[in-house]
Amino acid sequence: MIKVALAGQPNCGKSTIFNLVSGINQHIANYPGVTVDKKVGRFSYKEQKIEMVDLPGTYSFSSYSLEERVAKEFIVDEKPDVIVNIVDASNIKRHLYLTFQLLEIGIPVVVVLNMIDVATRRGIEIDAQKISQMLGCKVIIASGAKGIGGDEIMEAIVKTSQESAGSFKINYEELEPLIEETQSEIETSQIPLDKRWLAIKLLESDETISAKLEVEFKDIKESTKAKEEKFHSLYDKDIAPFLAAIRYDSADIIYHKCVKHLKESSETVTDKVDKIVLNRWLAFPILLLIMFLVYELSIVYGYKLTDYTWPLLAMFKNAVIGVLPEPQFTDIPMVTDFTIWMVNSANALMNYIPIFFILFALIAIMEDVGYMPRMAFILDKIFKKFGLHGQSTLPLVLGGAMVGGCAVPGVMSTKGIADDRARMATILTVPYMNCLAKVPFYTLILGAFFKEEMALMMFYISTVTVFIALIVAKLLATTVLGTRETSPFVMELPPYHLPTFKGVIIRAAQRVWVYIKKVVTIVLAVAIVLFAMLQFPGLSEDSIQKFDIQAQKALDNFDKKAKKSAYYELVDTKEEIYTLLNYYDNYKSQRMIASGKEGAEAVDADFMQKNEALFKFVKSGDDKEAGEINKLLRKLSKDRNKILREVKNEKIENSFLGMIGRSMEPLTQYAGFDWRINVAFLSSFAARESAVATLGSLYENNKADDQRAEEAMAQNSGYTPLHAVAIIIFMILTPPCIATMIVVKLQANSYKWMLFAIFFPITLGIIISSSIFTFGSMFEVSGLDAMGYFYASVVALALVFGLFPTKTKNWFVDKK
Amino acid sequence: MCLSHIKKGQKCRLVSINGEGKLKQKLLDMGFIFGADIEVIREAPLYDPMELKIHNYLISLRKSEANLLEVELV
Repeated sequence: MIKVALAGQPNCGKSTIFNLVSGINQHIANYPGVTVDKKVGRFSYKEQKIEMVDLPGTYSFSSYSLEERVAKEFIVDEKPDVIVNIVDASNIKRHLYLTFQLLEIGIPVVVVLNMIDVATRRGIEIDAQKISQMLGCKVIIASGAKGIGGDEIMEAIVKTSQESAGSFKINYEELEPLIEETQSEIETSQIPLDKRWLAIKLLESDETISAKLEVEFKDIKESTKAKEEKFHSLYDKDIAPFLAAIRYDSADIIYHKCVKHLKESSETVTDKVDKIVLNRWLAFPILLLIMFLVYELSIVYGYKLTDYTWPLLAMFKNAVIGVLPEPQFTDIPMVTDFTIWMVNSANALMNYIPIFFILFALIAIMEDVGYMPRMAFILDKIFKKFGLHGQSTLPLVLGGAMVGGCAVPGVMSTKGIADDRARMATILTVPYMNCLAKVPFYTLILGAFFKEEMALMMFYISTVTVFIALIVAKLLATTVLGTRETSPFVMELPPYHLPTFKGVIIRAAQRVWVYIKKVVTIVLAVAIVLFAMLQFPGLSEDSIQKFDIQAQKALDNFDKKAKKSAYYELVDTKEEIYTLLNYYDNYKSQRMIASGKEGAEAVDADFMQKNEALFKFVKSGDDKEAGEINKLLRKLSKDRNKILREVKNEKIENSFLGMIGRSMEPLTQYAGFDWRINVAFLSSFAARESAVATLGSLYENNKADDQRAEEAMAQNSGYTPLHAVAIIIFMILTPPCIATMIVVKLQANSYKWMLFAIFFPITLGIIISSSIFTFGSMFEVSGLDAMGYFYASVVALALVFGLFPTKTKNWFVDKK
Repeated sequence: MCLSHIKKGQKCRLVSINGEGKLKQKLLDMGFIFGADIEVIREAPLYDPMELKIHNYLISLRKSEANLLEVELV
C-alpha cells in the first residue's frame, strides 16, 4: 500500500482535490490527542492500493501552530511514501514557500497546480515543465472543482512512490557552513528523513524536531543555541527571518522564470465583491442579512422539515411498540416501558438531523466561498473586547443569538478559531445562547404566569442571553483562561470561490455522522441511567394496592354497563377487554399521525384487516349497540390514562431522582424552587424537551383532562410570577444538555472543561436566581419588574466589561 | 513609521518587525520579509483590523500588531 500525505497551504483547494481522488471512500478521525480533523481516503489505482491522509492546512512547516505540529509529527512518525503538495496556481509564489520546505524533507513530492481554471481566467500562463525541472519533482496541472487531473495525480503518485526523492536543495548561503556542521553532528540519527532537513529544522529551533533529536543527542539544544548566537554575531541576522527571506526569494525566482501574466492585473472579482461586502456602511447590513438567511433556512425551515421527518420517526416508534408485549390494562410490562423511553430519547435527538444537515451544509458553503474570515474581519473589534475573536460570530449565532438555536452545531463550528483562548471562551459561552428546545419551556411558564406580558418577557429572554454570553466570555478570558495562549490576528482573506456541490454535501454528511456517532450514542447511555433513576425504587405496597383497587373499579364499571349490550359476549373476560382496549388505543394513536383522508382510510383498512370483529367498536358508524361499547371504551381508556398518570407521578416522587430533587430543596428554596422544579431541571439534562414533559405531568391535577398544562401549573403550583422569573433565569443560565456537553468535551479535548461547563453555569444560575427571588420577595417586587431589573443590570454590566481592555500577550520587544 | 499609520490605498515597504516568537514567525511565514511590498487596501468597518495586500494576496492584521511593523512609504 502506498501511503500518501496531502499537504498544502490553507485555501489551496486541498479538500476539492482530496474529494476528487478519494470520492466517498473517506472517513474522518482525529489526530491522537488533539481536536484536529484527520481525513483519510482509501482507494486504488491500477491495482495499487493508496491511502491518502489529509494533513491540516499550514502556511509553513516552521512555526509553532497546532496544525503544523500535527502535520510535522505525522510526517516524522508515519513517514509517508509520497507527499502530494497542492499549490494554488493563481498564487504560486506564496504557495511555493511551503513547497520548498516539503521538498527538503527527503520524501518524494508531487506538486499539483490546482485551480488552473482560475489562473487561466486571470490570464496567468504557467510553464509546468520548467517548474518540474527547477524543483526536480513531478508537477501536475489540475482543478479539483472542475474535476480535472484526478487520474494524472494518481498516476504520478504510483510512479513517484517507486522512485527516490529528488535532490532538491536551496542554497542558504551564509548559513550553509552551520547547516553542514549540524548535519554532521546528527548523521547517526535513526530518524529516516533527510539529515539536512533535520539540521535546518534544528537551526530554526523547531520544537517538534528538537524534541525528537534530543532523545538521541542530549546536548543538541545547547550546541544549536550556540550556533544561532554565532550566526547572529557574524552577520547580525536571526536565522528564522533569514531562512524565510531566502525561501521567498527562491519562490520569486521560480515565479519570474515560469509564470507569465498575459493580462495586466485588473480588478479581480474578489476585489469587486469586497468593495461591497466590506464597505464601511454596507458590511453590517449584509452580515445581518446573511446571518438571518442562515438562521431562516436552517432553524426555521429545518424545523418545518421536521414536520415531514417526524412521522417517519413516529412510524419507527409505532413499529417498535407493535412488537413489544402489550399492557394488561394498567399493568405495563417493564420492557415495554423501557423500550418506549429509549425510542423517545433517540427520536428527540434524531429529530434535529434535518436542521443540522442544512446548517452544516450552509456552514460548508460559507467556508468554501470565503465569507467566514470576512465575517471575522468585520466583527473582530467588538468581540476582541470580550476576549473572543471575530470568528466567534458564527458559533454564537448558531447557538441561538436570534430567538433560538442549538449549541451542538455552535460548539462544533468553533473548530476554525485560530486563537486558543478565544476558542475556549467561545466553546464555553455558546451553551448560554438561547437553545431552541428551551423555547417550549419558556412558553409554558410564560403562558402560566405572564399571559399579558408574554412578548416583552420573550424579548428579555432572547436578548439577555447575548449579553450574558459576552459577560461570561470576558469573565473566563480574564480569569481561568487568562493564561491561555492567544494568537496574533494574522488572517488571510482568500479569494472568493464557488463551492462544489459534492464538497458541501460530503462535509455536511460527515458532520451529521459525527453527531450521530458521538452524541446520540452517549445520550442513549445516559437515558438508560435516567430511566432507572426515575423507575426505582418504585411504588410502595400500599400504593400498588390502592391503584389495583382503582383499576378494578374502572373495569367493574365497564363490565356493568357492557352487560346491557348485545355484544357482551365479545367483552365478557378481562383478556378480551385488554385486547380491545389496546386495539382501541393503537387505533386512536395511528389515526392521530395519519395525514389526510387517504391516510385515515389506510389506517382503517389496516385495522379492519387486523381484527374485523373488533373494528366496529373503534369505528361504530350506524351500529348503535357498538356505539355504546365505543363510548364505554373511551371512558375506560380515560380512566386507565388517569391511573397511569397517577402511578407515574407517585413513581417519580418516590424515585431516586425525586429524592435528589427533594434533597436539593434546602438549597434551592432560596431561589423558590420546590422538588418538582428540581426534578424537571435534572431530567432536562438528558434532552431539554423533557423538562416540559416532566413539569407538565407533575402539575396535571388529573381531574379535568382537557385542562392545558399552563393552566394546571398556574393553578396547582402555588407559584407567584416572581417564582417564575427565578425559574426562567435559572433556565437561561442552566447547564447545557448532555449532547452539548459531549461536543464541548470533543472540542475542548478535556473532561475537566466539560465538568467546568456543567458546574459553572449551575453555580451562577443558583446564585443569581436565589438573589433575585430572595430580594424580590423581601421588597415585594413584581415578577415583571424583577425581570426588568435583571435585564438592565446585565446590559449595564456587559457595557462596563466592554470598556475594560482584555489583557493580550504583548508581542512587542524592546530593541536591545 | 508604523504600518498602522499608513492610509488606505498607500503602498509601503517593510523595514523591520519589532515582534518576537510566535507573531514574528507567523508574519515571516505569511511573507512579511524585509523589503516586501505592502499595500493598505482598507480598514474594517469599525476601523480595526486592517486589510493589506502582500505578495499578491489579501491578509488582515489588527492595528495592535500592525503597530509592530516598521515600514517606509514608496
